[in-house]
Amino acid sequence: MAKRIYLDHAATTPLDPRVRRAMEPFLAATFGNPSSLHREGREARHAVENARGEVARLLGAEPSEILFTGNGSEADNLALLGALGAANGGHVITSAIEHPAVLETCRHMERFGTEVTHLPANADGLVEPRSLVAAIRPTTRLVSVMAANNVTGVLQPVAELAQLAKEHGALFHTDAVQAFGKIPMEVGKIPVDLISVSAHKLHGPKGVGALYVRKGVEILPIVHGGGQERGLRSATENVAGIVGLGEACRLAGEEMSSEAARLVGLREQILNGVTSAIPNVYIIGHPYRRLPGHLCLGFAGQEGESITLLLALDEAGVAVSSGSACSASHADKPSYVLQAMGLDPIRARGSLRVTLGRFNTEEDVGRFLEILPRAAAKMRPVATHPAFSAGLKEGEGDERNGPD
Amino acid sequence: MRETGPIELPGLDCGLCGYKTCAELLERLPQKPDLIKRCIHLSEEAVLGQESTPKLAGAAQVPVECGACALRPSETLRMKGTQQWLDSLGREFDFYLEHFPEDPGPREIILPHNPMITREMKLRKGEILIGRPLGMSCGCPITHCGVVMEVDERTGVIVWCVTGPLGPRQLGYKDLGYYVAEGYEGLVRESRRELGIGMRYFFQPRMCMLQWRHSGLVNYMNRTKEGVQVRLEGLWIG
Repeated sequence: MAKRIYLDHAATTPLDPRVRRAMEPFLAATFGNPSSLHREGREARHAVENARGEVARLLGAEPSEILFTGNGSEADNLALLGALGAANGGHVITSAIEHPAVLETCRHMERFGTEVTHLPANADGLVEPRSLVAAIRPTTRLVSVMAANNVTGVLQPVAELAQLAKEHGALFHTDAVQAFGKIPMEVGKIPVDLISVSAHKLHGPKGVGALYVRKGVEILPIVHGGGQERGLRSATENVAGIVGLGEACRLAGEEMSSEAARLVGLREQILNGVTSAIPNVYIIGHPYRRLPGHLCLGFAGQEGESITLLLALDEAGVAVSSGSACSASHADKPSYVLQAMGLDPIRARGSLRVTLGRFNTEEDVGRFLEILPRAAAKMRPVATHPAFSAGLKEGEGDERNGPD
Repeated sequence: MRETGPIELPGLDCGLCGYKTCAELLERLPQKPDLIKRCIHLSEEAVLGQESTPKLAGAAQVPVECGACALRPSETLRMKGTQQWLDSLGREFDFYLEHFPEDPGPREIILPHNPMITREMKLRKGEILIGRPLGMSCGCPITHCGVVMEVDERTGVIVWCVTGPLGPRQLGYKDLGYYVAEGYEGLVRESRRELGIGMRYFFQPRMCMLQWRHSGLVNYMNRTKEGVQVRLEGLWIG
């Protein structure tokens, strides 16, 4: 049986064997509670603090500015609820393309009187700083815009947005779950106050995340209890997970630029191969301002068939992700990210997300490029006229109704 | 691309341009000047500040939350669960059609364009199918997935419940190709208009992925505590 090709690293990544090896002692003999004073406890504490140092190093931060959480979503919740709690309410600005961990937290805050403004995205999937300028108010306490979008992979202009927030006296949070460890993020160079990260997106374990909180920024806890993590995240630490996150950060930091260049090369190979084999394919989001291994593709005139493509690829041994789901559970949810970028509801359902990771090789890409055109041939077109599948881009649609 | 002044690369060696170091990129620029577009740290200003950036009608070019566009991001997100009697294109409808609680999804009566394949594929209750509605009734651009509830081998008519793609992915599936949606059955819990047999209504299948209104003729009704069970035929989208 041929090896499966995993191209869904935006969903989750396989655990790096080096990370697993670093974690193993803490799943066996070194089992102490970091809060205990005996040797077992001290060993665990030492491991947790080492990992904190690694996370901090990758951000150019102080270890004391890192809080461990249960995952990226919890980090987002802590950042938003914690910062607003400390500020005693006010106005929050976020974007329409955030992960639900941010959007749903904002919705929750709205129920308790917080005013929330959602910034739009442009056709490239970018949140423009000028839209923040238009939205910011004297009462704005917090601006939260993600570093990289999980659907399109587009990198947001975090530095400019954070600078604007700072100039207006608001805190700036970024959900960096997709971007962390893949692009440089130096808190000394960008005035970000809060950064959410997750281990399993960078070949670390699931069930552990972290929140960077700039020194001097006050937040309140959302989990109360024994006072771990400076009283901001009570609960016995997930030592093995935290060690895994630390090791994943160390590896990401060491290999970042060479790995990014390698992934960009593979990404371009896929894009070139796909566009030459399938004429109606189009790229969704900015062509270059994107995560190194992230492609979001559409198939003009066949968007409603992306589930067919996903299933055919899965049968052929390739794991990718699709925005399309004729599904009871997803029925009223065309991709709000793609809709916010101006794609119509059909196109907003028809994306194919291909995301590369550390263990993908040129051979994987070659096989994917062999398989994809065959799988794509199984898609039924919405219409038979070639104009529907001529690869027209957004905004060119009027031409479809013109004379032959 | 910057055409004036010397190019200053950021020196971050981030690899996002496809080269491991800024020096490597700089080396290649004389031969391929367009590569400069790949430096996201330089292109940021150009991308965000110039009029050449592709624009999105109704998004960045209008003031935030101005209300001028039909699908503001915040409204789009609030769509779920509201009873505003407007579909996603702003058209009025009379009721939501819910699926029966005991069914795994919306119940549809469908006919493959070649009804013979119902027999040829030996379709049985519980099997997973995929296919796309096409034709004079509810043509839809999206492939549907569902589980077979009943099969009529004589006519080729299939009753299925539309579900998500998880079933096909986990259990395998048969591809029905194109089919015609002949009828829907479901539950009406709330309606803007009095329901009556023989009357045509605009309705919104609760699980319609596009949230487009449909129209259909009610040819069966049964009032229950949970709502009115209806069967609709003569279906059209819009």
